[in-house]
Amino acid sequence: MATASTAAGDSAETEAGVRIRMYRVGFGDFFLISVPAAAGGMAHILVDCGVHAHDLGVIGAAVQQLKEDTDGRLALVIMTHRHADHISGFASASDIFKTFAVERVWMSWFEDPGDGKALRIQAGIAATAQHLQAALAARAAPGDDEYLRMAGNALGVAKGGGNAGALVMLHSFKTADGSPTPVDYYAAGDTPALPDELAAAGLEAAILGPPRDLNLVAQMDNAAHQYLTSGAGDDNGPAELFSPAYALAQFPWPKDDQPLFTPEEIENRIVASQPDALAAAAQKADNALNNQSVVVLFTFAGKTLLFSGDAQWGNWANFLFGGAIGTPGHTGLTAQSRKILGNLDFYKVGHHGSTNATPMDVVKAMKAGCVAMCSTDPGAYGNPAKGTEVPRTPLLAALMAKTGNQLARSDQVPVGSVLATAGLPAVAAPFKSETPGTIDFWI
Amino acid sequence: MAADATVGPEGAAAAPADSAPPALNIYDPSLKIPMPQWRPLKAFAYDPSRGRRLGNCMSVSIRYEKLSPGPIGDRFAVVDYDGAQKTYYAPVDLDDPAILIQGGLDPSEVDPRFHQQMVYAVASETLERFEAALGRRVHWRHAIDADGRQITGRKDRLLLHPHALREANAFYSPDVHGILFGYFRASMTDPGQNLPGQTVFTCLSHDIVAHETTHAIVDGIRTYFMEPTNIDVAAFHEAFADLAALFRHFSHRETLIDTLQKTGGRLYALHLQSASAVAPDGDPADRKKSGAQIQADIAEANPLIGLANQFGEASGMHGSLRSALGTPPNSTDILTVTEPHSRGSILVAAVFDAYFSVYLARATPLLRIYRSGGRHSDDVPTALAELLAAEASRTAEMFFTVCARSLDYCPPVDITFGDFLRALITADRDFYPNDTDGVRDALMQAFRLRGIVAEDAAYFSEGSLCWPEIEAGLLPVPGLQFGDPNGLTRDEQDHDGDLLRKWAKDHAHILGFDEEPDIEVPSFHPMFRVGQDGSLKVEMVVELIQTRADEAMSSAGPVPLRSGVTLIVARPPSEGRKRHDPYVRYAIAKRLDAPREQRLRTTLAASEIARQGPDGRITIDFCLIHGGA
Repeated sequence: MATASTAAGDSAETEAGVRIRMYRVGFGDFFLISVPAAAGGMAHILVDCGVHAHDLGVIGAAVQQLKEDTDGRLALVIMTHRHADHISGFASASDIFKTFAVERVWMSWFEDPGDGKALRIQAGIAATAQHLQAALAARAAPGDDEYLRMAGNALGVAKGGGNAGALVMLHSFKTADGSPTPVDYYAAGDTPALPDELAAAGLEAAILGPPRDLNLVAQMDNAAHQYLTSGAGDDNGPAELFSPAYALAQFPWPKDDQPLFTPEEIENRIVASQPDALAAAAQKADNALNNQSVVVLFTFAGKTLLFSGDAQWGNWANFLFGGAIGTPGHTGLTAQSRKILGNLDFYKVGHHGSTNATPMDVVKAMKAGCVAMCSTDPGAYGNPAKGTEVPRTPLLAALMAKTGNQLARSDQVPVGSVLATAGLPAVAAPFKSETPGTIDFWI
Repeated sequence: MAADATVGPEGAAAAPADSAPPALNIYDPSLKIPMPQWRPLKAFAYDPSRGRRLGNCMSVSIRYEKLSPGPIGDRFAVVDYDGAQKTYYAPVDLDDPAILIQGGLDPSEVDPRFHQQMVYAVASETLERFEAALGRRVHWRHAIDADGRQITGRKDRLLLHPHALREANAFYSPDVHGILFGYFRASMTDPGQNLPGQTVFTCLSHDIVAHETTHAIVDGIRTYFMEPTNIDVAAFHEAFADLAALFRHFSHRETLIDTLQKTGGRLYALHLQSASAVAPDGDPADRKKSGAQIQADIAEANPLIGLANQFGEASGMHGSLRSALGTPPNSTDILTVTEPHSRGSILVAAVFDAYFSVYLARATPLLRIYRSGGRHSDDVPTALAELLAAEASRTAEMFFTVCARSLDYCPPVDITFGDFLRALITADRDFYPNDTDGVRDALMQAFRLRGIVAEDAAYFSEGSLCWPEIEAGLLPVPGLQFGDPNGLTRDEQDHDGDLLRKWAKDHAHILGFDEEPDIEVPSFHPMFRVGQDGSLKVEMVVELIQTRADEAMSSAGPVPLRSGVTLIVARPPSEGRKRHDPYVRYAIAKRLDAPREQRLRTTLAASEIARQGPDGRITIDFCLIHGGA
């Protein structure tokens, strides 16, 4: 294999000989970690494989490339959480994945079919997303694209049966000897079972999230429950609240009175204050799934790599602050999290660079010169005017400063590519782009 | 002596009717009927789901004022515009003789004019309770025009919109300068006591109206109080509004007596015994044998400690929206629970634990006297229930008053549960120096059991928890004018504002502020309150704020870093012909030190509930918090 020989050549040049490859598929995570195996060659870990918004339409080719890169053998597959932009590839390219040999699959404890609470939450979120999708399509309001994407992200893309199809694929891998691949479900603090090949290579892994926190669960449960009962998008609402006899076109203000606002102002303010329950529900469902992300810290030959999926505050807080941020005694980073962040060598930027996935505290505590990779593309989510754009400009600026400009983005392209977009730097050292459609970092 | 005779009733009766025709005859009985002091209005005591059951239809007595159709009065304007259907509903004219003569329209879900009457009545009732407790007139937050400027020179009324939204939501919004109430369809599958799919009106829930009005009152009292600068802020506001709504339940005699009888005098039981179980000659065992169960056999939830029952049931939440006493005391929830309502209910539960402790202490002698004859322990006859109800009601009134007054003893920014505890203890000590019933002790124990501690108090004792009192005369504020209980004149306001800004700048160092930038004085309110000994206490509560803009960004904009001090300034009584300068009794400070700065940045940046209004102020977005709950 051409790649294997490249790998062997480069590994001599870096301390650990580990390669992190980001497949450029659009707004979606698709990462491959390759570590030198004890028996020679490389052992591979796949972290997510999906795209949803701003799909470049290349995920099939990218999975084919993955097959070449790994010879169809994956020691470990990690599904951080069940959002289409992290798992759609397992559905749409299932014909290729079916030919892979996978030794182990890791998921968050929210995916455990033996856990009644988890099952209920996932069913609730899926039902909500379906409800939202129908309601949003029915109202067809301008500016709803983002919410439709959120609902769609929770359900998955049509090809290959959506997220349900991807989960089927993830649960039906076979190991090299043809037996069903074991699937593990983890929560923060669990000791994960590494496949033999990775353990023999000297890799270590720790699970930092999601917490098995009943409060977090309750909040997610409530959230899903709320949307389903809020009547959001319910078109069968009362057509006429009261008898038409009560309706009035104008409000009879007393003539001699000087009201604070004119009737028109009052009407406009009320109309402008109509809460968008659909939008809020879409956002909450989106957050709930993101917070299920399994967060893994790998250590190999003294180097540490953090893959946080799309984890947001509710998930991170436990690890970073030792409890819910702001509760007594949990207002600053814990000594342990400072230590981990202060020694970090690689960071997969959470949630495509959104403001609520990478707390500023984390950037501050991070080791200067740590390298980061981020799958993102502006314009898919959020609103710069509200400071919610993804990726968040000040956050990426802070990360650029902290990493010493060692931040690779999936919307960057190799030097000289005709696809180069104005304003974005081309992929530069320490990153490489030897195989089309990928960005590599050797550590 | 002559002066005494003229005001005495005998004087009036003795006045000769045929004396020379004076320009002004003050001795004859006037033919003019004096305007009544109160206006009775009907309202649901809880919400329509309880139907006409015991005590659900109540009459609220509010201060009489002349009303225009709306109703539009001095403090509130009900403008019934439906934002979803884009139509107005005919406003009620509460001064219509046909309505006046029956004490307001009868409760009705199908007539929007009753809805308007009810929001007006309950909002006014809530405001009056706060004004009575605070000893001053409450002002609304200044209304803001589209460009973020304060609107001045117009009559400042809070707008109430009973049917503004088609949503399971109701919220106070500074943007509309009022409260938006929603309506929604009850769950088809799990509607509780409602019909599946029936329309549920949040404006007909007494609790919801009282809760939202409380948000508006607190926002008017304090300028930056709603900036969600720590995890407790939003939770505190929810808890405080819930407390105001819940304590009102205890002023409602009919339900109180019923509940006392169905809980054996223990008000705090989560469930009431069924009517058949407490009926003197009822024998539920017989009925069980016969297999029949009738309505009176069904035990129901305790209405006194549950909030917004219909809303909770209609949205499929099985019973009330929140119950004050859902969980046994524990000190772990405070460390893990972050959702504002759930976190707030820890504070509500702590206050109610204390309330029930004090109530039981007061009720126990009565119960012991009654039971000394060996009577059935859970049987509470009406006469005993009346006495117990009086205790419960008096205690609730006292707790509400202390909670309301403690607002004035809170730091002006960045409130925590611990600060509120200190404010409660200090306010209570200020007004009831002799704590004969152990109220402060009950509060301290209840808060301790729920894990709520004051960060900077060295011990969990009354002396340590009270804000330190500054020695009389040590920090004078010469020239401060207190006006009278109806407020300050415009000139007095201008005078005091200038004086306080200058005074704050001169004392910046002592107060713990930086020299720059200028210290803002967003509010100062004179207070006239009667102490336990009957003396009139004249004080002024002043907010001082210093703001530094930070480079960190929250989702709502740049993070403002604020430090603040609440001053309680006392006007000493005159001594002979001399009056000493007013002096600062308490300076309750939130300083801006490095850890707090860091916490503000982190919390505001992470906040998903902050929003920025046109005036640049960052506040809690109650629309997001109250959505679906």
